[in-house]
Amino acid sequence: MPSNTRNNLLRAVSKQPLEDTPKIRLTEVAKNFSVRGQDIEALRPINLEIRPCEFVALVGPSGCGKSTILNMVAGLMKPSSGAVLYDNKAVTEPNRNIGYMTQKDTLLPWRTTAQNIGISLELKCRANERGQARDRIAQIIELVGLKGFEHHYPSELSGGMRKRVALARTLLYQPETLLMDEPFGALDAQLKLVMLDQLQRLTATRHMTVLFVTHDLGEAITLADRVVVFGARPGRIRTVRTINLPRPRDVFKIRFTEAFARIHEDLWDELKDEVMQGSDV
Amino acid sequence: MTASIRASTTSRSENGPRWRQKLLFTRAGRTTVRLAAVAAILLFWQLMPMDRSAKMWASDPAAIVATLWDWILDGSLWHHLGATLLVMSLGYVIGCAVGAALGLVFGFFPFFYRILAPYISAFYALPKIALAPLFIILLGVGVESKVALVALTVFFLVLNSTIEGARNVDPDSVEGLILMGSTRSEIVAKVLLPASMPWIFTGMRIAVRYAFTNTLLAELIAANSGLGYLIQYNSATFDSSGVYASILVLVVFSVTLTEILTRLEKHLGARHE
Repeated sequence: MPSNTRNNLLRAVSKQPLEDTPKIRLTEVAKNFSVRGQDIEALRPINLEIRPCEFVALVGPSGCGKSTILNMVAGLMKPSSGAVLYDNKAVTEPNRNIGYMTQKDTLLPWRTTAQNIGISLELKCRANERGQARDRIAQIIELVGLKGFEHHYPSELSGGMRKRVALARTLLYQPETLLMDEPFGALDAQLKLVMLDQLQRLTATRHMTVLFVTHDLGEAITLADRVVVFGARPGRIRTVRTINLPRPRDVFKIRFTEAFARIHEDLWDELKDEVMQGSDV
Repeated sequence: MTASIRASTTSRSENGPRWRQKLLFTRAGRTTVRLAAVAAILLFWQLMPMDRSAKMWASDPAAIVATLWDWILDGSLWHHLGATLLVMSLGYVIGCAVGAALGLVFGFFPFFYRILAPYISAFYALPKIALAPLFIILLGVGVESKVALVALTVFFLVLNSTIEGARNVDPDSVEGLILMGSTRSEIVAKVLLPASMPWIFTGMRIAVRYAFTNTLLAELIAANSGLGYLIQYNSATFDSSGVYASILVLVVFSVTLTEILTRLEKHLGARHE
């Protein structure tokens, strides 16, 4: 299991026990939507297992059911058939072990940056963490590069900044598993790399399991232990590729290495057909 | 020809002789013109030759001022003004409180709303003033029946806009908070309530005007006090000076109310930005 390099590395530095049971398991999961009385097959039965602390990227054209998978893992949507398991238990209600960063930022317009980010620590279920809230919020604001914007309202921020507020809000309470739906789509190229770097560092030190949806293949290869390429209409898995690039990765330079280029080319060949197909619909 | 083109392209205030500029384009000048116009009309009204029956219908400014002065001296002006203000504000406060509270309940438990929706929209559509005679039968001609009518009018306005607000809460924000582990009451306090607030305020803002109009209409229909009653009473007793005097009071009252509201909205709006 070559993708275990990262897990081995983590085990070495953190003595984190590694179970063999998957964190997330999808067995024969399919999803149909009914649109205006018509049944649309959004996702054909797929199988996918995600190990604890694994970083898995889902790549594919739009409409291939990537977001649907995240919604089902989060417990916000039920599969039409098959089973979604989290820690070997069926997900039947909103899954509180995960932090979900949706495609659309769901910031509350009447709260400032700092208030939006800190909302999770105001909840009763984290009452014991309230004491360190101020420091942790300040720290995470610094981390996502929003220093000086603590007291701004979402309407006063750019799209990219709002994304970073949403990211900080999700990271702040250190959920066990992160679900991210194109989190960096609205960022400019340089800032995106900085964010990728931070995300890689944070998820590794906090032993997070990550399910990361993106349409940017380079981003996926840079971050992930495994890249799952999806085909569209109906959604299905085309190929799964383990990324053997050593960790920690230098997000700024890795894309210029030969190994990266090779993986990119292979996966792009897979993805290309799907993208072409998608564009003429 | 060229001169007139040049004149029309230069700015407006450079046009015409100096005295006209001063009158039309300065604040003091405009006020002077305005007051002079009113004074001219009043003077004409006062001095116009009228026989006794014409005088009875049309009255004249001096008689109107005399009537007003009598009312101020015997305190009846304050009595009626106070009655109108009481009905309006009491009805408004009750209507807002109940409307917002029930609206939030309906918004958060859509089940109730789905059952009651047809009745609510039927009542919402009904011009509430049509119920004034009914309330007078039920509660008498006193202040109570008017308060009830105004409260009902305000209630439906605030209720509807509150429900609208509660239904427009972004479900994704709610889901996000659920995934963070929040309880039901935390969702109400942190998302549903603050998200509905602007809608509640919009309803309340619109309701002020309705409360005022309906107070007056209710007093016109049947009452024993209030500005509307004053107009109605003087008209019924063929006291045209009294009618004009009470309309004058009403004008001052509504201008003041509008001015206060505009300032308040500006102030709150600025703070919200």
